[in-house]
Amino acid sequence: MTLMTHVNPAAALITLRGISKTYPSPAGAFSALSAIDLTIQRGEFVGVVGQSGSGKSTLLNLLAGIDRPSSGEILIDGQALHALSEKQLSAWRGRAVGIVFQFFQLLPTLTAAENVMLPMDFARCWPSRERRARALVLLERLGVAAQADKLPGALSGGQQQRVAVARALANEPAIVLADEPTGNLDSRTARALLDILGELVRAGQTVVMVTHEHAAMHHATRIVELADGRIVDSEAAVHV
Amino acid sequence: MFSPRWRKMLRDVWLHKSRSLLVVLAVATGMIGSGALLDAWALVQRVTDETYRGSHPVSATLRVDAIDAALLTQIRALPTVAAARVRRALSATALVNGTELNVELFALQDFGARDIARLESERGVWPPRDGEISIEKSSLEFSGTRLGGSIDLHFDKQPPQTLPISGIAHDVSLPPGWMDHVVYGFVTPATLAMLGAPASLNEIQIVVRDTTADRDTVRQIAYAIKALIERGGKHVVNIDVPVPGQHAHAAQMNSLMLTQGAFGLLTLLVCSFLVVNLIAAMLAGQTREIGVMKSLGASAQQIATMYLGFALLLGLFASAIALPIALAIARPYAALKADMLNFSVAGFAVPWWAIALQLGVGCLLPVLAAAIPVMRACRLPVSAALRDAGICGDAGSAFVRRRISIPGISRPLLLSLGNAFRRRQRMLLTLLALAAGGAVFLGADDLRRSVREAVDELFSSERYDIVLRLRDAYPAARSEAAAAVVPGVQRVQAIASTKASIEHADGMLGNAFRLVALPPASPMFVDRVQQGRWLSAADRNALVVSRALLKDEPTLVPGAQVRLMIDGTATEWHIVGVQPDIQALAYVPLATFNDLHASAQGAALLVTTQERGSSAQLDVVARLRSELEHAGMPVANSWIVSESRRAVEDHLLMVVQFLGVMGWVMIVIGGMGLASTMSLAVLERTREIGVLRAIGARHRAIMAMVLIEGLVIGVMGWAVSIPLSIPMSALLADGFGRVMFSVPTHYLPSAAAASTWLLLVVAVALIACAWPALRATRVPAARALSYE
Repeated sequence: MTLMTHVNPAAALITLRGISKTYPSPAGAFSALSAIDLTIQRGEFVGVVGQSGSGKSTLLNLLAGIDRPSSGEILIDGQALHALSEKQLSAWRGRAVGIVFQFFQLLPTLTAAENVMLPMDFARCWPSRERRARALVLLERLGVAAQADKLPGALSGGQQQRVAVARALANEPAIVLADEPTGNLDSRTARALLDILGELVRAGQTVVMVTHEHAAMHHATRIVELADGRIVDSEAAVHV
Repeated sequence: MFSPRWRKMLRDVWLHKSRSLLVVLAVATGMIGSGALLDAWALVQRVTDETYRGSHPVSATLRVDAIDAALLTQIRALPTVAAARVRRALSATALVNGTELNVELFALQDFGARDIARLESERGVWPPRDGEISIEKSSLEFSGTRLGGSIDLHFDKQPPQTLPISGIAHDVSLPPGWMDHVVYGFVTPATLAMLGAPASLNEIQIVVRDTTADRDTVRQIAYAIKALIERGGKHVVNIDVPVPGQHAHAAQMNSLMLTQGAFGLLTLLVCSFLVVNLIAAMLAGQTREIGVMKSLGASAQQIATMYLGFALLLGLFASAIALPIALAIARPYAALKADMLNFSVAGFAVPWWAIALQLGVGCLLPVLAAAIPVMRACRLPVSAALRDAGICGDAGSAFVRRRISIPGISRPLLLSLGNAFRRRQRMLLTLLALAAGGAVFLGADDLRRSVREAVDELFSSERYDIVLRLRDAYPAARSEAAAAVVPGVQRVQAIASTKASIEHADGMLGNAFRLVALPPASPMFVDRVQQGRWLSAADRNALVVSRALLKDEPTLVPGAQVRLMIDGTATEWHIVGVQPDIQALAYVPLATFNDLHASAQGAALLVTTQERGSSAQLDVVARLRSELEHAGMPVANSWIVSESRRAVEDHLLMVVQFLGVMGWVMIVIGGMGLASTMSLAVLERTREIGVLRAIGARHRAIMAMVLIEGLVIGVMGWAVSIPLSIPMSALLADGFGRVMFSVPTHYLPSAAAASTWLLLVVAVALIACAWPALRATRVPAARALSYE
């Protein structure tokens, strides 16, 4: 059972003000999000829920700097994302955000360790000789160190998702964004993954997770519910 | 050792190994062709620079009626002159193994001069001693002469003298003797006297001090020397100023190399199409991976560097294959070219810059070709890159399929036709590569036809089968009567021939050319005059000049008056027409010529035979030689017109042959491009093929779909190559005209060539698509459907 509480907007890590996102389509402009105002505090585990087409993934893409809002402002850790160029966004993404995808999206020609090293390689946050050691530490933390030198094709879905989480943590980002991370996992593996995300939050990380699974919602400290591109509820969840 | 992104790149190369290999081989093939040409050209240039320019070639030659030591000292003292020497050059004939050959003899006072037209000893005695001769090395093989042998030299009407060949020399300023069929020999003035020739030296040759001086500047210096000589009471009869620093055959060679180089560049362009296709397809297949990498913080620049690095790697592989092969081909090719300039490439290396340039082009070509698709892929927004449209996403063909709704065409065939247009840019580049190869193939065939027609035209005047050059001039009636009785002879005509020069207004003589005297209404000679008219029976001092002579002496247009120096006598002539011959010569009425010489004499016989076969004509030649020898009119040399025609045609077709080879190389590259395109198409449509198989498509149907798609591209390439061959043919004919001689331009390929090319393109398409088609049938339906 979850109880909702209001959150203090002070010391916000993520602030969305008047965000709208419209896509052109053959049938006319399609509004994926409209007039979104949202604040997320450091150390929160936010679950974004809603029906298919409600704008969950669009919201996550905007937070990741993968997409740009049609209007409004996005401030993350004091950085105005909407004002950054593509090049600046890439650099920012590499340092500040870790993304976990539903289909894992590990690069098939790289081993698990190399997949984890890849963001370090792009962002150059770690000296090159320390990257593999750090990747192994992260894989160890997620319980897949034994799979470090295997290609993704040789790993189970759960193992691949753990590697994907390790990859998301590679550059010690302030925020982990997860898009339906359990959508492709069996219930046991999904539970284990949610536990890992919970541990990250307890360790001070901020997690924003898009999900439509009830079990996943139980791990969040706050649920943001979207419907037809609008926030219909944004309350802190209290687990009993 | 490598960071993960570069490891990814290397593994991607391995993942796409068959297609990457195909592109590497195609780029390497193009590089081998163009690299071999560049290496050969660079090597020949190096040899030219170091051998020819290093020999201090003569800047100007002045022919003077008399030279003395004081005059030579005066000329050497001029500040504009770096070196000067005196010599005599004269023509003689030699009898070698029963064949009379033209000989150019050079007599010098000082054979050891190093600062002017340096002569090198190859073997034997140097300089030649009195009574001996040194032969230029390029004259040895064709003439059958050898060191230690002897040569029977015959000057004018003097009795022949046998000279021992005591040395072999090399004069890089001379065109190769084998090419001009001239024996070049070096003798002392005393040897000339032995032959009965004038022994006094009559040519002053100079090298100007300013090595950068152009032809006009050198000419001014030569005219200043002429004024100096004439102030001393002597007379300069001729001044010859060649193009400074350029070998006699260099312009032809450069034009040939330039034409070949243009085709080398075209081949590289076609190769770049393949690279564009491979990289574009690879990027399309990795769109999602690019999206993921961008979401992990990769900048567009970092991703672009990865894929351009992949292209660079392909270029490095292609260069590693192509460079040594191009070098191996270039050396014998350069040796052949150098031989045509009378140089040798032995001891010379291909310049390093040529190898560096090839390496640079080999590495940069794939990078440049990949740049546009890479930039396009890197600019794709992350959200778009991460989106998966499934098999319905690629609607490119629907537009086309709607338009190819030909009634009666089955749905699978319609699908194949539509598939060909699905990736329009890739299809366009593939068919352009094939079309470029086809256009060169058709262009080379057109040029072959044009050359044959031009040679036909060249020989169309000659209505005789055999030419016999007599050792001397004999009464025409006597020689005609002696030849007419020989079995196999149908008709005989005696003609006369001598050398003439144009005497210019300033008293200078132009270059010597051949004057041919024949009856204006001779049935054995049909005129082809381009301007003015042919000789008529009423003409007296009328002259028809050849196009080649008109090129040398542009004032010789119909209607012009000209003063000719013939056998030491100056006479007035008027030009009535221009005949399109490629040699510098002029035709005059035989009667006028006979009047000039006060006798009806002929030095050559034109013979028509009853039999047309070569062996029958050879028999007739043997009988004619015997009969004329018996009648006291020995034959100096003879030739069968059809053999000469074949020799000329073969010589000209060598260039066409090369273009044909380039066409084949480009067709092979085009075929590789089609194979790569179809292989990519099968890979991209694995899921779609799986769906087709799941709904009952058989192996044969899948295979036919791929083959038909390839055939559609091939046939379109054929269709595009036909109009493309029109400018190609025009360019080739123009280029050939500049290097060799003008040939007619064909604006449409022959039906036979177009049909051959169609059959060829069908075969190329079937071969290129065989492997992709087979692979398409081997993909299990389940794997195809689960393909990500």
